[in-house]
Amino acid sequence: MSTTELSRESGAAAQGSGADLVLSGVTKRFTEFTAVDNLDLVIPSGSFFALLGPSGCGKTTTLRMIAGLEQPTAGSISIGGKDITGTSPYQRPVNTVFQNYALFPHMSVLDNVAFGLKRRKIRDAEAQAKEALELVELAHLAARRPAQLSGGQQQRVALARAVVNRPAVLLLDEPLGALDMKLRRQMQVELKKIQTEVGLTFVHVTHDQEEAMTMADTVAVMNHGQVEQMGPPQELYELPRTAFVANFLGKSNLMQATVTGDAGEYLQIDVAGNSLTLLKERATDHTGKILVGIRPEKLRMEADTAAAAPGSIRGVVLDASFTGASTEYLVDAEGIGTVGVFAQNHGGALFNDGDRVRLAWDPEHAFGLSGSEDREAGAGEDGL
Amino acid sequence: MALLTAGKAAGTGPSAAEEEAGKRRGRIGYLLILPGFIFLLLFFAMPVLSLLATSLYIKPEGADVGQFVPALEFGNYVVVLQNYWPAVLRSFGFALIATVAALVIGYPMAYLVAVRLRDRKLLKGILLVLIIAPFFTSFILRTQAWKQILADEGPVVSVLRAVSLLPEDGRLTATAFAVICGLTYNFLPFMTLPIYANLERLDTRLIEAGGDLYANGITTFRKITFPLSLPGVMAGTLLTFIPATGDYVNAALLGNNQNTTMIGQVIDSRFFRVVDYPGASALSFLLMLAILFLVILYVRRFGTKELM
Repeated sequence: MSTTELSRESGAAAQGSGADLVLSGVTKRFTEFTAVDNLDLVIPSGSFFALLGPSGCGKTTTLRMIAGLEQPTAGSISIGGKDITGTSPYQRPVNTVFQNYALFPHMSVLDNVAFGLKRRKIRDAEAQAKEALELVELAHLAARRPAQLSGGQQQRVALARAVVNRPAVLLLDEPLGALDMKLRRQMQVELKKIQTEVGLTFVHVTHDQEEAMTMADTVAVMNHGQVEQMGPPQELYELPRTAFVANFLGKSNLMQATVTGDAGEYLQIDVAGNSLTLLKERATDHTGKILVGIRPEKLRMEADTAAAAPGSIRGVVLDASFTGASTEYLVDAEGIGTVGVFAQNHGGALFNDGDRVRLAWDPEHAFGLSGSEDREAGAGEDGL
Repeated sequence: MALLTAGKAAGTGPSAAEEEAGKRRGRIGYLLILPGFIFLLLFFAMPVLSLLATSLYIKPEGADVGQFVPALEFGNYVVVLQNYWPAVLRSFGFALIATVAALVIGYPMAYLVAVRLRDRKLLKGILLVLIIAPFFTSFILRTQAWKQILADEGPVVSVLRAVSLLPEDGRLTATAFAVICGLTYNFLPFMTLPIYANLERLDTRLIEAGGDLYANGITTFRKITFPLSLPGVMAGTLLTFIPATGDYVNAALLGNNQNTTMIGQVIDSRFFRVVDYPGASALSFLLMLAILFLVILYVRRFGTKELM
């Protein structure tokens, strides 16, 4: 296998590693609505970058503008300092793995993969195409037509067809959307492996938060044509800065609270009559009405007895669903409403519907959001 | 990564019941094609055989006009070929030029309507109706209208004379040019519609993929759009070339009596005016064989099995 060779060459191709993809002030307006609104984005060379968001959030339009398939209404796009705004797709050092692969049905797998190389008059196009097919372990199917391959195989041909050109940026438009769950998991691991091997910049558009978190170094969560928050997956999950991110990436319990005092590193807050603390650095707002968020798995739950810890919130179990490794509870918390609790199965006693409980959490797990945020934003969208 | 390589475990062969069901489906299939088969036998195979037989008849010494007796006179073929080979060649030449012209005119029209205007439903509908509209009036009348358009006093000739593209005494009616124009015009919808039907199913994401893979517009057309539309082009060219070769209306109305005579006219006059049934039959049969031969060559050369 010559993957090491491929990665070495691509390293040379991406030399001057300042081939960062930069979008500045990019806006795309269609007659009826604004798909992308004044977007600024820097995608460092060699990174695996995910644009995550619900359908209609502008992520695909952003991708198509990078590919040159759409032109921005305003703003500019550059790669490695070179402005490519206004150029045609074929003039850009960018290749795309299309959502439905868009393989040429009248050509063999090998001809599909060699297509881009031949257009650029590269001499050993066929040899390089074969190498790329080896990378995706499909060299034995080179003579087949795309229609004779399975969905997963077609997906890998589409990937090889793009990777073989060693573009400065490789775009993936929901590339795993058409595959079944099991195959998707497998391809996620493989995509990540191939990206590491060839060292190209991957920009991956998806509505699947798990897919984005599994593969990407950096995730940008998009909503209404703007980036809500951007960062490494763990950071986004542990410290969401907007209600949309908190709800779209995993689940969150968001509760209304009021800041009652300032104690140095901590804020004193009041949540439905309970006096609690919140780390200042984990809160976007430090005064007035705010939202306090806590992930379901970070909530501790214990029976409501005289010995229960002070500063915890009373509640009644509404529903318990036992899933083996864990149990998911819905708890009606006093003055707050329904709260989700996710408890690992450590072998202890389980709670039943109607049990009176107390909920508590460590201040370093909670996060504070602006009180003007919509608690429901991003909840139940297709990200789950 | 050994996914998806393991084939289905080889099961046992089809059971007796399945085999029986298969046979029954086969019988139903034959029953369904029976009406068409009988129709073609009566109205195609029989006339062709009768044509073949008539083409070998001879006229006995001293017989009246139109009186022939059955024979096996293959000499008829030699005689008509000797006399009319220029008209045969001319027919194929005219039909070829008209087919190429119809392709050059029809392909862009089909592309415009099927691809560029794909999302403009109303405009697309109007243009489609316009493509088919010529069929609403008679073939003969439309060809007669061309005679007016190309007439010596008509607008086309006066403009061409004014800009010196035609000499002062130059004319368009009764020329090969007029005949080819008529053929092109009359068969244009037969070219455009099959190509349209094909291009309408073209996945435009493939065009985007071509652009994404460093192919400019022309290369994308050459390497992707056009090859994928070949089945439509095949159908359109055959539907144009075959009837154009045998056509006699255009040559009769728009041509002259010396250098635009097509084989259809010859057959027409041998049959109806000279009443030379064997000669007309021999020419018809020759024409059929020649077209069949050319079509087979063409399909073998350009036909794409996977796409047909």
